[in-house]
Amino acid sequence: MTDTAIEAAGLGRRFRRRRGPALDGCAFRLPAGSVCALTGPNGAGKSTLLALAAGLLRPTEGTITVLGTTPAAARERLAHVAQNKPLHPQLTVAGTLRLGRDLNPRRWDARAAERIVAEGDLDPDTKIRALSGGQRTRVALALALGKRPELLLLDEPMADLDPLARHQLTATLMADAADRGTTVVMSSHVVAELEGSCDHLLLLGSGRVRLAGPLDDLLAAHTLVTGRAGDALDPHTVVESRTTGRQLTAMVRPAGPLGDVLQGDRPSLEEVVLAHLRSPDAPPLLLDAREAAV
Amino acid sequence: MTALATAAAPDTRPGGLLRAVGRTHRTALVLSLLALAAAAVALIWLHSLGDEARAGMSACSTPPTAGLPSCAAVDAITADETYRNGIFGLATALSWVMFPVAAWAGGALIGRELENGTAQLAWTQSVTPVRWLAVKLAAPAALLTVGTGGLLLLNDWARGDGNPNLVGDWYYPDTFVSTGPVAVAYALAGLALGALAGLVWRRALPATGVSLAASLVLHGVMERYRENLWPAVTRTEAGALELPRSAFQVAWSDVPRGGVPLTRATFHPESHFWPLQYVETGLLLAVAGTATAAAFLLLARRLP
Repeated sequence: MTDTAIEAAGLGRRFRRRRGPALDGCAFRLPAGSVCALTGPNGAGKSTLLALAAGLLRPTEGTITVLGTTPAAARERLAHVAQNKPLHPQLTVAGTLRLGRDLNPRRWDARAAERIVAEGDLDPDTKIRALSGGQRTRVALALALGKRPELLLLDEPMADLDPLARHQLTATLMADAADRGTTVVMSSHVVAELEGSCDHLLLLGSGRVRLAGPLDDLLAAHTLVTGRAGDALDPHTVVESRTTGRQLTAMVRPAGPLGDVLQGDRPSLEEVVLAHLRSPDAPPLLLDAREAAV
Repeated sequence: MTALATAAAPDTRPGGLLRAVGRTHRTALVLSLLALAAAAVALIWLHSLGDEARAGMSACSTPPTAGLPSCAAVDAITADETYRNGIFGLATALSWVMFPVAAWAGGALIGRELENGTAQLAWTQSVTPVRWLAVKLAAPAALLTVGTGGLLLLNDWARGDGNPNLVGDWYYPDTFVSTGPVAVAYALAGLALGALAGLVWRRALPATGVSLAASLVLHGVMERYRENLWPAVTRTEAGALELPRSAFQVAWSDVPRGGVPLTRATFHPESHFWPLQYVETGLLLAVAGTATAAAFLLLARRLP
């Protein structure tokens, strides 16, 4: 077995020749067993990246390796829940789970799938078309977890769920992932949703990797500094700096001690992500990528 | 891991995928089985009507003589009308099987699944896209072959002695299609064209429209050029020429040469029924095969 769940090198995907690429030169490495938050603004390429990892799209350039092999060869060992939670509307909940059993004859765990459905008080005889968005999400997650995947790719999994169901399903997911060492990649543009449950971060912006690495290391690499307008920020790497009146606020990656003039503060995940989203030209920071294009 | 895979190997037969396809297209399966049963019942009923219908077509005389029934009695028989309408209706239905099949294959079988993502859902289970498409095409193809083939045999049986006054001449377009293997080939071509359109357009509505249009064109072209599929027979005679009723006339010309009227007739005798059937079946199966190959190629090229 390999210790890498996903590894991308120079990964690019272009949909139409005239339009810009959805993904462009992405390089990162995700260790097996991590829970990764995939975030970025709308249209950043999150869904494209997940579809590439799930073997639903062919990269136009570069490579992506999943569980030590190609996405197509890893099909049996990964699960993908697409953003629109596609399910057959004419089937019942129980029929959908039977579909999972029929299509995954070697891996299906009926009890795990049924438990997730039962936790949501869903009647197994209800047709999928009669379910609400959140209930459909629950069935889609049950289908994904019933397969007992080694890699779980979730595209905006919690968007339709009420806070209680979100909390409960996240707990189920995390418990399952911890028990079985499943690697989870979860996309969302709501950063707060991801902070408590993830240990890895992948931030995409206009098709490129902006930040990648363990959450703690990424947070430790950034400092929120305040000083007086006109203070020099050299030699630190400046992600974003703003001057309000006489006060200077900046997100920097310190290259050494801050000195006496500047005051440093540990930023939150949201602050780091927002700073990078507001300044698209800030240099990317890729930790633990073997072929990092720094 | 290897031991587990080997132990569970018998489970990888396409049974699960086949069940999944049956379950997701249950409405179409039930509807087509109902249509098949209805057509079979209708044909059995028409067969039972056959003797009476033929009696309604028999020669008669007024007043009745020893050998012939009275014309009033023959006229009073209405079974021949019912029988003729029934046989013609079923011939039309059998020769049009292709259209609903193509629309369904383009729309519900492939196009809609690609549009709403349920195809992608299947591909991220333990099923490769190629096997997914193979089972999705093979299952309806088998059903269509058995169903249409069975109806062909029943139709042949219901048509009795094939009296052209009752069941139509062999070369009538609907009659020709509904009395030979070409009917099965049409259904299969419709399925393949629909699947290809579904994969190209990836949306239910355009795929339905395109596959229906392609089927109409194919059906129309075949009907128009059927007479050219096998070399016709030409007979030239001085004076008037009478072709037998069973001749499928292709061309006719009266050319006076040296003051003598000369008639030249080009036609297919009834013995050309099978060669024409085989050539048309071959062409349609070639269309179906090409469309299927293109569909697989497209799928393989699009996916890693």
